[in-house]
Amino acid sequence: MTPDRETKRRNRLMTLLAIIGPGMLTAMAGNDAGGISTFSVAGSSFGYATLWLIPIMTLLLALVQETVSRMGAVTGKGFAALIRERFGLRPSLFAMMLLLFSNMATSVSEFAGIAAATSIMGVSRFVTVPVAALVVWLLVVRGSYRNVEKVLLALSAVFIAYIAAMFLAKPDWGEVARATVIPTFIPTRAFIVLVIASIGTTIAPWMQFFQQANVVDKGLTEKDIPMQRIDVIAGTVAAGVIAWAIVVTTGTVLHPAGVTIENAAGAALALEPVAGQYATALFALGLGSASLLAACVLPLTAAYAICEAFGWERGIDRSWSEAPAFNAIYTFVIVFGAAFILIPGLNLIAIMVFSQAIGGVLLPVLLVYMIKIANDRRIMGRHASGPVYNAFSWATVLVVAALTIALVVMTLLGWG
Amino acid sequence: MIYLTSMLGTPVIDASGTEIGTISDIAIATGEVFPRVTSLAFQGPDKTPFMLSWRKWVDSLDDDAITLKADQPKIRFSYLQPDEVLLARDLLNKQIVDTQGKKVVRVNDLKLSESQNELRLLGAEVGLRGILRGISPAVERAAVSVASLFGKKIHETIIAWNYMDLLDRDLSHVQLSVTHRRLHELHPADVADILEVLSASQRGKVFAHLANEQAAEAISELEDEFQADIIDDFTDQRASDILEMMDPDDAADIIGDLPYDKAEALLHLMGVNESRAVRSLLGYKEKTAGGIMTPEVTTVTEDMTVQQVIDHLRSDAAEHEAVYYIYVVENEHRLIGVISLRDLIISSPDTPIAEFMDYEVFKVGVDDDQEDVAEMMSKYDLLALPVVDENDALIGIVTVDDALEVMEEESAEDLALATGSMSRWTSSGPWSWLGQKSGWLIVWAFLGVGAALLLSIFSDNFTGFVSVVLFLPLVIRMAEDISSHSLAVMIDAGSVDERPPFMRQLAIDMVAGVLLGAVSGLIAFGVLELIERPLEAAVSVAVAIAVTVVLMAALGAVLPYLALKRDGTGWRAPSMLISAGVALAGIAAYLGVATWLFEVVRF
Repeated sequence: MTPDRETKRRNRLMTLLAIIGPGMLTAMAGNDAGGISTFSVAGSSFGYATLWLIPIMTLLLALVQETVSRMGAVTGKGFAALIRERFGLRPSLFAMMLLLFSNMATSVSEFAGIAAATSIMGVSRFVTVPVAALVVWLLVVRGSYRNVEKVLLALSAVFIAYIAAMFLAKPDWGEVARATVIPTFIPTRAFIVLVIASIGTTIAPWMQFFQQANVVDKGLTEKDIPMQRIDVIAGTVAAGVIAWAIVVTTGTVLHPAGVTIENAAGAALALEPVAGQYATALFALGLGSASLLAACVLPLTAAYAICEAFGWERGIDRSWSEAPAFNAIYTFVIVFGAAFILIPGLNLIAIMVFSQAIGGVLLPVLLVYMIKIANDRRIMGRHASGPVYNAFSWATVLVVAALTIALVVMTLLGWG
Repeated sequence: MIYLTSMLGTPVIDASGTEIGTISDIAIATGEVFPRVTSLAFQGPDKTPFMLSWRKWVDSLDDDAITLKADQPKIRFSYLQPDEVLLARDLLNKQIVDTQGKKVVRVNDLKLSESQNELRLLGAEVGLRGILRGISPAVERAAVSVASLFGKKIHETIIAWNYMDLLDRDLSHVQLSVTHRRLHELHPADVADILEVLSASQRGKVFAHLANEQAAEAISELEDEFQADIIDDFTDQRASDILEMMDPDDAADIIGDLPYDKAEALLHLMGVNESRAVRSLLGYKEKTAGGIMTPEVTTVTEDMTVQQVIDHLRSDAAEHEAVYYIYVVENEHRLIGVISLRDLIISSPDTPIAEFMDYEVFKVGVDDDQEDVAEMMSKYDLLALPVVDENDALIGIVTVDDALEVMEEESAEDLALATGSMSRWTSSGPWSWLGQKSGWLIVWAFLGVGAALLLSIFSDNFTGFVSVVLFLPLVIRMAEDISSHSLAVMIDAGSVDERPPFMRQLAIDMVAGVLLGAVSGLIAFGVLELIERPLEAAVSVAVAIAVTVVLMAALGAVLPYLALKRDGTGWRAPSMLISAGVALAGIAAYLGVATWLFEVVRF
């Protein structure tokens, strides 16, 4: 009976792997070009000063992602469909415009990531960005994206190298621990932008739609909720650890040396302790594949959500005549992202950070929709969110909104 | 006409003129084609919900308010009946199945009409017009007038109540009008198409209402990727019941895709005969006769009479998929002859079948390629073809429906190979054209770029003209693609009548051409910049490539109309000539534009 038992064990493992997925995949795709550059800049410009944000944001990300996957498991519907059914046409048009706008911005940053990754290898972005755009577009059209997803995910795991780099950099662990627990706030515009960008890249608006769509796609139901929680927590913790390692590494290697990151080659320097002369290549490989993965996911998420909200045909296997809106939207997002990067004379790193800040600014609005749906007992039944969840969710909304207002006021008055 | 979205939120006024609340919903009786509005739901002070009978209490309805017949204290409130459907709660913004158009849509608005003091539901608005109106009536008006500038109309897309099936609310216990068409009344193939666009949980709800037999048929019609998933979601008992009802070849396909444990569990639950039939099929390779055959085959022996055969058919073969031919076997199931149903019917009951049986049987081996099987059936006009093993024993038959599926599959593959497109070729829009062609085109573009880079290494005296020549292979390759695209259009469309209107096709191809031209131009520009060619050379080549692609796209659109005779019986020009002509035109245009730009303009 040994072979039988073995198959059984493998099957159980497969079920686990099948359910463990949406959360991990989303969290990893979230560590994209924008994330890497935002955290690198944070570490090099402010040292350990932003470290305390990461545990908090990991917690909030886990909270938000758990909420949407619970929504998906209970209702069997996507986030956009729930917005439409709960709030009606006009509010969902507003939500979809926000999502489209933030996805366009993030898509720009993904192509910036591709451009940065290939330019440190000495290839002009005027060649690689159009080619990458075509590749991304074809992957989506051909539907072979699902297979490529796994390869890109595996490749972007090279960022685990940051964990090794962190140890090799020999940071002052006491100070790192202190900075992680005790909040520091530097009242300058640059710092606030970085805080908003960090939030925007960690809890990016598209991640909620992507996560819930994946849960619905997998046909997960209420009984899968506990397993889903494990998945979400594992994914967000992994993403959080990597983000933390990036800040510690860049904060140790680059900040004392007074290096401010102006391009990807500068950011790659942080990996030198672990990879030596191959640091640039390693960084380029990781940045390139993470960006490519997210560049596939973003336009798809936007197209899926918008078509779901308005009841249009959707799906990667639908042709242009069957699903014109779906195809038009993802093509538009890809073309917009790629075309923007072809503007001469851009500072790619600045673009990556800035577009994450756009995501951060738009996030609170979409979170309000999420909180209201998750609280609605007619939709969620006994799985509606409890008071602790609500308190944390509203706190996220308020803090990000307050930071945004502060940023606007400071910019208008010319402070910082 | 009244729209639900404009009604919601309207004040409710009692006979004395006091406002007692705002409309929150209206309910319809479900038994009619154009259902009557039966109840009014409104929200009083402090969001208290109220419901009252429309017929008894509503006096009049206009844009500003709804007026009741009595004063508030006299009104008797009621409750929602089980057979009532609330328009805002159950329909508005929800996904429904349009059982006439056979697709899943989202309800943007509901259209009502008032006549003889009755309000009736005309249908659900599911089109763009409803979305525009929902955003704002001003937006709708603006869009309509912009569209009319271009001579177009934005139509309303209305689905009548009797063609709606709700996905979120179970209507199975509600009496619907006799003309009401529910999802499960559609043809299984249409049900399958709808199921494919639903989410997993919605699919589960639909299947909960389908009888096992309908479920079996619908699952057989689904794409392979969904079949195993859906069976996997059922309880083992239901799954095995459904699999039993399917043709064994379909059931075997699905079971083959299930995890081993699940497959074994289901096979154990199935009837002995059914599971044996499925098991026997699981061993055969895909894409062979064995992979597409069904083991359910009616066999008789040579010594039987017509009457005996007919009795045998009635008792034994009643459930078999196909009984167009009856196969005659001797011991060990060796196939020796065939009789047709026709022979059986016209012969007298006591004739021995040996008298008219045909000893020449068309048959295929179990490992034969499925394409050969289909070809043989088509060539000899057979409705079924017996499959034998290496000992010539009859083990199953391939029926005509399976053969048709094979031919569809294979011809799509062949046409795709011949025309250089990668997926199934359908004439749809510029995007799909671009998408389907781009696969090979991009491969060729890369090859061209590769050739260009190679040349650049060997060439030390590199002038602007060399940059121009570098991309010549790409242009030639594109010309070939354009002409094969035109040929595919001609093969596919057949006659003039079947093709889309000329201007439309031209517009589609031009959009695709401009897009592709822009992309190719950018790539060329990038490559030349990369290998550090002078700017003017790069710009000239990029522009020339863009212009050439656009020109050739136009040629590709026009050619089929010029080359095909009006009656569609043949081509005016042989295909080789077309290819050569397109290539020459392309090269001439490319070289002309590039050298002109480079030499004359010179920046």
